[in-house]
Amino acid sequence: MIPGRCRGGAWSILANVAAFVLLAAGTQFLARQSSPGNPVAWAALWTGDFVFVAAGLLFLGLGFLMPLHAGVLNLGIYAQFLAGFAVAAAIVRTPSIEPAARAGLALAAGAGAGALVGTAMLWLRWRFAVHEVTSGLLLGGAMIPIARAASLVPAGLPALTFGLYQAPVLLRWTPGLGLGHSFLLTWGILVLALGLLIALVFAQVLRTSAHGFDLRIVGSNPLAAVAAGVDVDLVQLWMLAAGGACAGLTGALQLWTHPAVALERWPFPFAFAGITVALYGLGSVRGVLVASVAFALWLNAPGTLVSLGDPRWGTAVSLLLVLPVLWNLPRLLPDQGAPRALWRTRHRQTF
Amino acid sequence: MSGRSAGLRVKGLTVPDGSRWPVRDLDFEVKPGTVHMVLGERDTGKTALLETLAGLRREERGTVRLGDDDASPRDRRRGTRFLPRELDATQLTIRERLLVARPPRRFGIAIHGRRAEEYARSLAKRVRLDALLDVPVEALRPLERRLLELAAAFSESPRAVFLDEPTSELGPHEARHLLGVIHAIAQEDGIPVVFTSTWARDGYPDADAVTILWRGQAPATVSTADVTESALVDRWTGGGLRRAPTGPHSAGDPLLRIENIVLQGRGRETSLAGVAFEVRAGEVLAIVGAPADGLDLLHDVLLGHRTPDRGSIQFLGKELSATDRRQRVEAGVSFVSPPHARDQSLGNFSVEENLILGQTRRGPFARRGWLKFESIRGNAVRSLSDFEVPDAKPRDRFARLSLGARQRIVIAREVLRDPVLLVARSPAQGLSLEAQEYVRKALVLQCERRSGLLWLSEDPEEALRVADRLAVLAAGRLVWLPVTETLTREAIIDEMSGTAA
Repeated sequence: MIPGRCRGGAWSILANVAAFVLLAAGTQFLARQSSPGNPVAWAALWTGDFVFVAAGLLFLGLGFLMPLHAGVLNLGIYAQFLAGFAVAAAIVRTPSIEPAARAGLALAAGAGAGALVGTAMLWLRWRFAVHEVTSGLLLGGAMIPIARAASLVPAGLPALTFGLYQAPVLLRWTPGLGLGHSFLLTWGILVLALGLLIALVFAQVLRTSAHGFDLRIVGSNPLAAVAAGVDVDLVQLWMLAAGGACAGLTGALQLWTHPAVALERWPFPFAFAGITVALYGLGSVRGVLVASVAFALWLNAPGTLVSLGDPRWGTAVSLLLVLPVLWNLPRLLPDQGAPRALWRTRHRQTF
Repeated sequence: MSGRSAGLRVKGLTVPDGSRWPVRDLDFEVKPGTVHMVLGERDTGKTALLETLAGLRREERGTVRLGDDDASPRDRRRGTRFLPRELDATQLTIRERLLVARPPRRFGIAIHGRRAEEYARSLAKRVRLDALLDVPVEALRPLERRLLELAAAFSESPRAVFLDEPTSELGPHEARHLLGVIHAIAQEDGIPVVFTSTWARDGYPDADAVTILWRGQAPATVSTADVTESALVDRWTGGGLRRAPTGPHSAGDPLLRIENIVLQGRGRETSLAGVAFEVRAGEVLAIVGAPADGLDLLHDVLLGHRTPDRGSIQFLGKELSATDRRQRVEAGVSFVSPPHARDQSLGNFSVEENLILGQTRRGPFARRGWLKFESIRGNAVRSLSDFEVPDAKPRDRFARLSLGARQRIVIAREVLRDPVLLVARSPAQGLSLEAQEYVRKALVLQCERRSGLLWLSEDPEEALRVADRLAVLAAGRLVWLPVTETLTREAIIDEMSGTAA
């Protein structure tokens, strides 16, 4: 349903609208909560968290997928995520900024911080020949104390929450859909819609534009890209910045939930959820959409987060998720051709 | 350093998949200390066969015996050595590379410095690299790298050694030198050696027998004592030298003028020491040389990958030495590389996408930044028809096609741009004989449209087939040879190896 193979057209648009409506209706069914506006609503175990987690996973998946298409392994996704969180938290806490403007500014700055980290990774590669895998992991480690410090003082959060509560009022169509006043749900759906839009635009550009063609060449065969006159460095810079912005935005969005949930319940490998999502989605935009929803369903299942809170379970489950990813990483190196190499190499083994 | 092998015997061997024409029911025997050549075009299953012999693949049927015992794939993996076609360049020095497998140790733990030095030196001496022990492997010439890997492989006293196209990136005199060394070491150690090649001449004088793989037909093995070199070459190539179909051309105005190009080679690569020539409209200028003798360097300079230290490159009167490949293509130069080169096609992409590579910024295939799929499809259908690739469809994956079909598609893309100058670097290397003829014909015909054609090759025969004018690149300088009926392959090789009178 994602335009990519069918190259646009009315049916493609209709199919996408239908997919979105289905998703919205499904999430509403899963996430309906009792609220002053809708007191008889069914109180399910799955709340607006589901939508929010799905949106976050989708953004993280895109954060990894975009550079992957340009042949870059963005293992700096955790660093970008934490940079987005830290910068957004700092903005929320700044009294000189108009309270109503803080939410939007925090989001934009979070995305910008993520993009900056992505850019810094490439700069380190160009200037000091540090591989982006190394710089990504090291920056991730360096960002942990900064992000934790940013989450300790909740002074700015009420102002942000105030801003959020205004959202359902501003968006008058949401009560019409029967959504509760849960800011989490409402904002979750908005963010999810934004993620869907970015995914669709990315898929469309990738498949049908000259720049998308260049991008795919860079990911598939940098030598051929150079021969075809593509500026490989520039394409990779743009994609790492775009991927970093997605990851940074996810980090900033964590302020909408309780920050402790983001940093404590998500063990370290879970911060690589985007990589996991992208790889389980087999490196395609469509796959990333499906995988992010599937992971969100699993994360919101009763007992999942509780069991993940146990370090032993958390580590075991994380390893189970991440090991297949590590298994596939060597095959995703640019020279091997990313990201379709997953299927090709898996079936090419003869011995 | 004596081997412990008692020969290799292959009986009824069938190799599973991996090529267009898989090898079936193969029988041959290689006695200890002898060299056996497997001759075949690309996609005839040579590499798959060697991988099977080395135990890296499991045979579908048949047996492989090392000495008196049937050897399982596991035994073969442990007991034999396989050297792939493409060797990894490493930052190790020659000494370190030779000590990787079995360094002499002190008390079984630490490397014994003095003995390790002696050991490495003795191994290097076998292939005459002992004067280069401190040189990094990546700085070596292709021949030296092959010799080094050979020394390392034989140092482990394997029961057999398999080499996949060891001469593919060497000039003819270098190939002969390498095969001579292989034969000498194999004889000294009593180890059977099997190597593959696409060139019939590689079988002489060092191979004892040649197994011929011909497009899925039953393999045939002939003894080199029973068949002369010229008979095998004639049979293989379908006759003596024939010129490409268009005949000699009358040259027009100068298109490309190279003046006094000087460029320092990397590592042990030969530098360019004042290369000068011009290519005129409607002629084929062939430059023959070994890749490490400056041919690769000259190709890099023409592609815009390397800027010369001195000299100028003028194309239609404009200086191009500071421009990149893209700008040269836009100025009217097209490049065709060897069929297996990785910079001219995209294996994962479709045929139609490969046909528009580098043409999406302007021209008929994109409008305002968006691809025009109707034009792209139409171009693919026409190109496949015009360049006689009937089995390919526009949306087929490029890597699925045969090497010859892929090269035709690349040539279609470059020729249809109607370039002013075509620079072809060994464009027919490793192709089937018909495909080689087709490639030569398609490129040389471009001269009739008054394009210039610069043909760079390490194969003297190929150059003789196409050249209107011919020069040999040896020791970084050009030596011009008149293209007459009396000019022979041997005369060119003598110039390449510096042994001409």
